[in-house]
Amino acid sequence: MDKKMFFGEYGGQFVPETLIPALDELEFWYNKLKKDDKFKAELDTLLRSYAGRPTPVYKAENLSRELGCELYLKREDLMHTGAHKVNNTLGQALVTKYMGKNRVIAETGAGQHGVASATAAALFGMECTVFMGEVDARRQEPNVKRMELLGAEVVRVQDGQRTLKDATNAALREWVASVETTHYIIGSIVGPYPFPEMVAYFQSVIGIEANAQCKELGFDPDCVVACVGGGSNAIGIFQGFLDNQKIEIFGVEAGGVSDKDGEHARTIGMGKPGILHGAFSYLVQTPQFQVADVHSISAGLDYPGIGPAHAALNDSGRVKYGYVRDDEALNAFKMLTRKEGIIPALESSHALAYVIENKEQFKGKKVLVNLSGRGDKDMAAILERGLI
Amino acid sequence: MRGFYIVGGYPDREQFKKCLNAVAAAGFEFIEVGIPFSEPVADGPVIASAIHEAVMNGVDIEAIMSDVREMKQKSPSIKATVMTYANIIHGYGEKKFSDDFGDILSGVIIPDLPTRMHSWMTDKGLSIPIIPFVTPVSRDEDIEAVKDTKAPFVYYISIMGVTGSDKKGAVNNKADIAKKLTSKPVVTGFGIRTKEDAERALNATGGFVIGTEVVKRQKDFSEFCKYIEQFR
Ligand SMILES: Cc1ncc(COP(=O)(O)O)c(C=O)c1O
Repeated sequence: MDKKMFFGEYGGQFVPETLIPALDELEFWYNKLKKDDKFKAELDTLLRSYAGRPTPVYKAENLSRELGCELYLKREDLMHTGAHKVNNTLGQALVTKYMGKNRVIAETGAGQHGVASATAAALFGMECTVFMGEVDARRQEPNVKRMELLGAEVVRVQDGQRTLKDATNAALREWVASVETTHYIIGSIVGPYPFPEMVAYFQSVIGIEANAQCKELGFDPDCVVACVGGGSNAIGIFQGFLDNQKIEIFGVEAGGVSDKDGEHARTIGMGKPGILHGAFSYLVQTPQFQVADVHSISAGLDYPGIGPAHAALNDSGRVKYGYVRDDEALNAFKMLTRKEGIIPALESSHALAYVIENKEQFKGKKVLVNLSGRGDKDMAAILERGLI
Repeated sequence: MRGFYIVGGYPDREQFKKCLNAVAAAGFEFIEVGIPFSEPVADGPVIASAIHEAVMNGVDIEAIMSDVREMKQKSPSIKATVMTYANIIHGYGEKKFSDDFGDILSGVIIPDLPTRMHSWMTDKGLSIPIIPFVTPVSRDEDIEAVKDTKAPFVYYISIMGVTGSDKKGAVNNKADIAKKLTSKPVVTGFGIRTKEDAERALNATGGFVIGTEVVKRQKDFSEFCKYIEQFR
């Protein structure tokens, strides 16, 4: 068993034997392309001229005053399609093109990864099928319509809790059946090797950019904060700052409504190591080793697993993983909207809420929050339910 | 080698025991007992929904295994195997699973543990032989890697897909290569439904296992018996 598949003790390739040749093929192409100048230039051009990179680092003066810290936002919400997800889907779609495959599939929770995959597929002229849990399809309806407009087929998954985990199961099943012609664009740093490494690579642009932008503004942040579902936006920004041990780094999990079984999605906080969707990592599970039901108001964080890189960063202590509850995230959503005129995604609202709820701890510090996405997709559900 | 897969504890303990003992009493060579896991990613709709039902009702590993032990006492010649996902065995403990059930199991079938990951579990103390998979897309080196398997057979997944798929089995020589290399029987699984399918598999690779078609009948004991009878 090869060390390269692991982050510390986490990771691996826990998948059906049928997928092994495809994972090897993917590893081969990924390793080749990440050193290939032509590929890198092509991706860089796309990220700039098509997707809107670089995204700014914005100093939120009004909120800073309110919280007593210097709050900076890395504006991934300004990316084409509305979230950081497109950094990854453009990268993987380009890899798909080099591999000579012409169909992609994806799972999606909030619908952001599904939209970003459908967008990349439209751009590259590829067929695209997106798997989405029925519950998520309902709470993120605008994104279902966007995917369909973009030409993707959206499969509403009816199994289990009908959320992101079940969508991922469905996508894995479809991949086993179509692996010879189809690439599976996994949407976070989860799944079997080489996905966690590859997705982290494509998202590293967030942190590399943010680090340079802060330096240009004349500082290093004291703290970096990001929300963690599977963990891709978080690992994206963290990679720019992990080496600087003076910088405190925080990952924020979805605390749902309480710590009772089925009422949170605190994978690191409440889970223990286990195997889901191809990787060994923290997992919210029952005493009988079944994957437990989870809950979050935000579809993108409503997932019982987490990328193996975060499991390792937790165990080493380099990153501190905390949580906020649904209502705290909603409060942050409202504050950013009213004080700064920025409507954030509910996922990203968790990162901001962590700073708000722990403002004493952040007092006087320069705090960089990854604003991973915008809230258009959430507005209908929030207004409909009278949540603010 | 003729074998059947049934879902442990499904639809309830009594009915499961009856089905388990029926397979053994009918004189088939092996049985594959599924320990249900909430995320059955290698399974199609029929088995997945049986598993979900079982998980909702609560999965009791000790109870399932004690029924297998009882069955083995009555029919010692049948080979018993367990089919379950990696998280169940890891959660239970690789070593504890081996200590508790190694004496009654000839092998474990773990659909999300490919050959290259076997050592991850054996290093943690799994000493029951892991039944290796060969697939239509296995490369020479993949088959070579199972050469020294201690398992009683090699499992040939004949189609690209999940259990219960109605795709046609792949026609290539991967199973033959595996058979020659390991000098073990090769059992063809996935997509075997009829007596003709089963005979073809017996002739081609030396064995078959049927899952979806029996799980479909696990709730109706007389249908279950009628179905497996035709393979005697
Ligand atoms: C805006 C936004 N942020 C965060 C996430 C969570 O994913 P990850 O943890 O991989 O960044 C999602 C997932 O859908 C999202 O849409």
